[in-house]
This record gives sequence, C-alpha cells and structure tokens, in this order.
Amino acid sequence: MTFESFVAFRYLAASRRSAHVALISTISVLGLAVGVAALIISLALLSGFQDRIRLQMAERTPHLTVSPARGDRLADPDAVRKVLEALPGVVEDAPAIEGRGWLADARGGTILPVRYRNLPPDGIAPASSEAAVPARISGAAAARLDARAGSLLRVVSSHTRLSPIGPIPIETIVRVVQVRRSGALEKAPELEVPEATARLLTGMPTGARRYEARLADPESAELAARRVAAALGPAYRTQTWRDLNAPLGFALRLEKAVIFATVALVIVVAALNIVSNIALLVVEKKRDLGVLSSLGAQPRSLARVYLTLGASIGALGTAGGILVGVAVAELLDRFRLVPLPADVYLISHVPFAVHPGEVALVAVFAFATAVAAALLPARAAARLAPGEAVRLSR
Amino acid sequence: MLALRASHLSKTYAGEGAPVTVFSDLSFELVEGSFAAVMGPSGVGKSTLLHLLGGIDWPEEGRVEVFGQPLSELSPRERARFRNERIGFVFQFHHLLPEFTAEENVSLPHRIAGLSAEESLRRARDLLSRVGLSDRGGHRPRALSGGEQQRVAIARALARGPSLLLADEPTGNLDAEAAANVFDLIESLHRERAMTTVLVTHNPDLAKRCDKIFTMSQEGIVPSARFSGRERG
Repeated sequence: MTFESFVAFRYLAASRRSAHVALISTISVLGLAVGVAALIISLALLSGFQDRIRLQMAERTPHLTVSPARGDRLADPDAVRKVLEALPGVVEDAPAIEGRGWLADARGGTILPVRYRNLPPDGIAPASSEAAVPARISGAAAARLDARAGSLLRVVSSHTRLSPIGPIPIETIVRVVQVRRSGALEKAPELEVPEATARLLTGMPTGARRYEARLADPESAELAARRVAAALGPAYRTQTWRDLNAPLGFALRLEKAVIFATVALVIVVAALNIVSNIALLVVEKKRDLGVLSSLGAQPRSLARVYLTLGASIGALGTAGGILVGVAVAELLDRFRLVPLPADVYLISHVPFAVHPGEVALVAVFAFATAVAAALLPARAAARLAPGEAVRLSR
Repeated sequence: MLALRASHLSKTYAGEGAPVTVFSDLSFELVEGSFAAVMGPSGVGKSTLLHLLGGIDWPEEGRVEVFGQPLSELSPRERARFRNERIGFVFQFHHLLPEFTAEENVSLPHRIAGLSAEESLRRARDLLSRVGLSDRGGHRPRALSGGEQQRVAIARALARGPSLLLADEPTGNLDAEAAANVFDLIESLHRERAMTTVLVTHNPDLAKRCDKIFTMSQEGIVPSARFSGRERG
C-alpha cells in the first residue's frame, strides 16, 4: 500500500469516530449510492420497454431485404433467392409481393384503403376446400369493417386487367381466417393473402420487387447483409431490420441518452456533497497536512491522499448503488411488481432489463465524478503552505 | 562548514488588518555540528525562523542555505525530498497524527520516502526502542503521556537520520521532570548522531546546556555571552 493510500484509508476509518465527519461521509456515500441506483433502475425500465420494442421490430420486420439498387423489380430474383438460401442462419426467405387497393365488407357498405402483401411461407394454411382465399387482416382493419374470423371481404386492387369492355380493377373475395393484433410498431400491411393471390392483385405473375429473409439470430443481420451484398454486387441493395427501423432506433438511443443525462444529475449533486466532505477533511486535517509536509511529503502526495479519499467514497457509493439498483430492477421484473392493464398495453407488467454494459457505464461515470469532485479540495491540500498550517494549528 | 546561513530574511504575515512584519533583515549562521538554542520573548519570530530554516515556510526577502543548498533554488518537490532526507522537525505540541499508532507515526517519514510498510515499521520500532518506548509502539498518541508523546515526536523527526534537527520548544508543554528527560534525550541523540541541532526554548537552564545560545529580539538575532564552557563554534 502506498503512503497516500495508507493515510487516506486511515482517515476514512477514523472519520467514523468524528460524528460530524462521519455523518457527512455517510451522506456522501448514500447520496452517490442513491444516484447510481436511480440511474440503473431508470435505464433498466427504459431498456425493458426498448427491448420489447426491438423484439417487435425484429418480429415484424424482415431481418434482411434485398431490393434493386435502381428500378422497381429485381433483375434476377432466382439469383437473390439462391444467395439467401445459401446463407447460414437463414430460416425463411420469400419474395415480397405487395400493393395497394381497397377492402370492403361483403355488403360493400364500408370501404377502406388497404395495403396488402403475400403471407409468409408459414403464415396460415390455405383453406383448400373453400372458393374464398384465406386472409389475415389487422385488428384496426377488422374493427373498421366489423370483420372477424370467418367474415368474407372483397379486395379491389389498384391494378387493372384488360377486359372486353376495357381495363377493370382486379378484385377477389377473401375469407378472414385470422385477425392480427396490432402492435405499437404496426408497419405490417393491413391485409395478408397467399402469394398467388397477391400476384394476381398486383398483376405480377412472376418476379418480385423485393426479397425478404428471416434469420435465426436477428443480431447477425449486419454480417449476413455484408455477405449478401458481397455475393450480389452493386446492382442490389441489402438492408437489415435495423436499417429499416433506423429512425425509431435513433429515437430509442436518444431517449436513453436523455434519461441518462437527466438522472445522472442526481450523481452530480451527490458529487457536490463529496466536495464539501473532502473540503471539510482538508480543513480538519490542516495541521496534519503541515506535519506531513514537514516530514517530506510531496504536495502531489498530499493531493493524492484526498483523491484516494474521494475514490474510496466513490467506490463505496457506486458499489452500494449498483447492488441496490440491480437488485430492485431484478425484483421488479421477476415478480412483476408494477402491473399494467393488459387490455390497454401489449404487456401485463412494466418490464425491467438490466444490461451489464449500461451498469458498467453508470459505474464508470459515478466513480469518475466522485474522483473529479475530490480534485478541487485535493488541489487545495497540495497548495497549503506547511509552515502556516503548523503555525495556525498550535 | 556552515550548516545554516540565513541572510537578510524578512517575513510578513497577512493579519486581519494590516500585514504583520515578524522580522526584517535578519541574518544568522551556524556551523555544522552545533547544538544551538534560540531564546527570546514570545512573538519575536523564533518559530517562524525555524520554519524558514526548515523550508516549510519561505521569506519575502532573503535567502536560506542549509548545508550549502539554497532552499529557494529547489522546486517544491525537491524541497520536500530535502526535508525528508536532511531535516527533522520537533514541534512544541508534538503534532503526532492521532489516527496512527506511535510506531506508525515514526514510520511515516520512511513511508513518504517509499520504503515498504514492513521495513518502515521495523526501523520505527528500533528507533522507539532507542528513545525508551519499545513497549509503547502500538499505542495511539492519546494513550501516551506528554513526555512520551514528545519522545515519539523526536523519534519521528530522527527517522530518516537527518543532519539538521529543528526543535520548536520541545519541552514547552511538559512538566519539569519530563522536560529534563526530553532535553536529555535530544542532547544525547545530538551527540550520538553528530547532527546540527537548533532548539527554541524559553528555559534558560536548558539553554545553558547548549553549545551556543542566540537571542532573538525586534532588532535581530545575536549570539549571547557564554553560559558555560561547552561553546565550540
């Protein structure tokens, strides 16, 4: 142990015997611990929600999409399919056939504009015995049309086909087999129909405007995208689910940064208490500083004594805050202690997710702030004239 | 060879009102190996002079040389190392650090010099044994008597084997018997270690046992007439 640590730890231990110093030291440590715990719980709360949002993103958005760099059709859809199928980790790939049109109830009383697309390969089993094609519609569309499973709906495409009397809209009858509950991040089309129907509605019997793939691990999307781009060359544009949700991803990061900066103010306020704590110790130990200086202690060493004190308070407060913060967040999440009305929200309780990286960031910030808070009084200790310190303390 | 040379020193303290001049144009010399007492009325600047000689305070004017080394030419870092290696201080109120045991207090100069805790404590115990406190090393200062506290302070001042010992009224706070014991210890250590010792005291009986006596007044510092046959320098 260095001379500086030796003196600092002894002061820290001895401060318990001095009631007012002990009180201020305890308040400093507690203040920092409260700040650290508050920051960890806030970030865990935010992470809990954001993780759900990201999960929804990853569920509802294709993990990889390949579209033409120019033009609106893939030049060689088969080549794209082969590349995607050869890619490790791809669990599903399919062309995206989508368009716009109108959706009406069977009586034709209510009509609403609709986006439609093909169902994923494992979407719903086609009801082969029926003439109407099976379809999945969004909860919002179902509510507007008063449709439920089994309802028949009419789809009219914005595309036309040529008939003896001229171009007429393409239309078909679908039977609702599933009403999809709308998520907060609803970007999926309101109507999903089998690929053949989607091709009929878009008037695109072959080819595709885009190919989509899902991966076993959505986190590997960036690596997979680089491989696809390398294999297909510059004629194709490959995007990941993160690229497709970039504005939302940015908003989530911004939200977390703002919460961090705001709640971190508690730690800054706690650090001000550390300044007064260390400054009080400098004044209390003024004579000792003069004596140590007369014994040959370097001014820098005296500053380090107080920096070590600040670091010790910082370490204690940070460790305590981490323990409390992580424990509270884990308990709140595990035992679902903050319930939410499940019919209003998509989840039944407020989720908390503790991310080790964020805890480490909070720990580094809190500890660095505590040490920085000790800098000012430590510099004062270093500048103390030893003779004066001894003379005035007689 | 001169151990101390102070030339034309002036020292002023910032008072609550006007600055207080402690002394001005004060010069002082002492040859190596001297055992000198500085006497004079309170407030004349004896302690301040000791602080200037030891480099823990600095004059507004003038120059202090210790063993030929001008202190003003040293950086704060060099001056601290010089104090650690060459100068020992004993203060009137012992100024032991209350959080540390007697042997830890004595080990502090070694710790400052970078010695390990074990080696520092070993040397501290040796020295405490020399000042007759081998059984009190584990006690904190408040558990020691005034005389014992001052003995520990002397051991701490001598920890690094300094060439110069500056003692500011080391017996001023002790009863007659303890004061005589502490003075005996300083005197014997001075002889034993061939140091230069400057001792501020108000006690003429103790001062008489020194080789040299200087008297400080508003006019300056002057060697006094011989008290005994022990003056050498």
